[in-house]
Amino acid sequence: MATHVVTMIPGEGTGPEICEAVRMVIDASGVDIQWEYADIGLDCLEKYGTLLPEQTIQSIAKNKVALKGPTTTPIGTGHKSANVTLRKVFDLYANVRPVRLIPALKRPWDKLDIINFRENTEDSYAAIEHMVSDEVAQCLKVITWPGSYRIADFALKWARDNGRKKVYCVHKANIMKMTDGLFLEAFREAAKKYPDIETGDIIVDNCAMQLVRNPGQFDCLVLPNLYGDILTDLCAGLMGGLGFAPGANVGDNCAIFEAVHGSAPKYAGMKKINPSAVLISGIMMLRWLGEKAAADRIEKAMYQVLDEGKTVTYDVGGTAKTDEYAQAIIDKMRAETK
Amino acid sequence: MPTFTQEAIATKKKKTIELVGVDLYIITDKGVPQFTDGEFGPFKCEFISNRGTKVWPGFVSPDLLMVNWYRCRFIATTPIKDHEVADFLVQVSKKWEWSAAQKLWNYDGEAGYSKAY
Repeated sequence: MATHVVTMIPGEGTGPEICEAVRMVIDASGVDIQWEYADIGLDCLEKYGTLLPEQTIQSIAKNKVALKGPTTTPIGTGHKSANVTLRKVFDLYANVRPVRLIPALKRPWDKLDIINFRENTEDSYAAIEHMVSDEVAQCLKVITWPGSYRIADFALKWARDNGRKKVYCVHKANIMKMTDGLFLEAFREAAKKYPDIETGDIIVDNCAMQLVRNPGQFDCLVLPNLYGDILTDLCAGLMGGLGFAPGANVGDNCAIFEAVHGSAPKYAGMKKINPSAVLISGIMMLRWLGEKAAADRIEKAMYQVLDEGKTVTYDVGGTAKTDEYAQAIIDKMRAETK
Repeated sequence: MPTFTQEAIATKKKKTIELVGVDLYIITDKGVPQFTDGEFGPFKCEFISNRGTKVWPGFVSPDLLMVNWYRCRFIATTPIKDHEVADFLVQVSKKWEWSAAQKLWNYDGEAGYSKAY
């Protein structure tokens, strides 16, 4: 029996070829994982009548951990996003999105190493919207004490466990005194448990400007859902794009690891896409599973391949296919263990 | 020359509006509210959500964080008028504490309210 059973959701478009490459690398790291494959997305509509089949939900409920490729959310068709549904159903309240400098991307910053903790379930994403007259729409922004406290507590603990020094709360409490005020108050309360971590707060618009001017000043940020959605993409832009932007959606007892980027359907089957974002998400998953040695091994090999620049994908100036890049990482790992 | 504001007002399209139900926000520490069919005349509870996540009917994760504030969507099973909403609120108030009620309308037959996840 394998040490871990993980639900693998390859997703759509380029998702299956990316996930296959990532599976190859993770399996070669020596970690003992049994992969349980599950479906999601538009193909499921025809087969099951839903973007998110019940079998997929049951598999994640059983295994408590999933690695997911990108999916496409149809716009304006009335179908609920499968991604949002997954976060809601499993109450995956912490969206963890680290960004750091990738030498191959040649960015102008001296330092960029930020972990963003985006609250994933509340704010104006609570799906409470009404047309209150024929020319007025409203959306309720819902912020709760327990929802705010737990993301702050989660972020502060993650920071402590991973040797981070500074956690800042991002808000607009000067204007939204009730909602963002509650978010900030809960953060300050949670911070009392972590006197060894430097804590503080910053207003979201100033944070956006400071991130662009001097991203090296930030360590960890805790954000309500909407600001988190925007600023985490801003941070991905600072890093050089979504090709290396991993993500984790974590709850108390379940976690889904996935890249931030979309499914790029026009490249499907061409094995052209850089799988690094899903691979780094996989590395985060291994650490979450307690497989630190395997995670470190893959990470080191990946950065070696990227630094050499010989077998890399087109987005970082190479000509390698998705699986060739994965094989180069595997070869590096094997060379290290000889 | 019209101003931008005058131009904007002139673009407004007339729609057919139909009252179809009420979102009622109930406050309770006793878990997910329960209603029986017919308890509130034509108003039938379609779903209940907590922090935007559906908690009735259907699957609910045991891990789900719930607060003491529930959105209960009541859709009318027959055509309704404003005074029936007022009667509904009087009846509801006998059993439940609530923070707000939001009438639900269809505009040109399209729902003017979001679904719950």
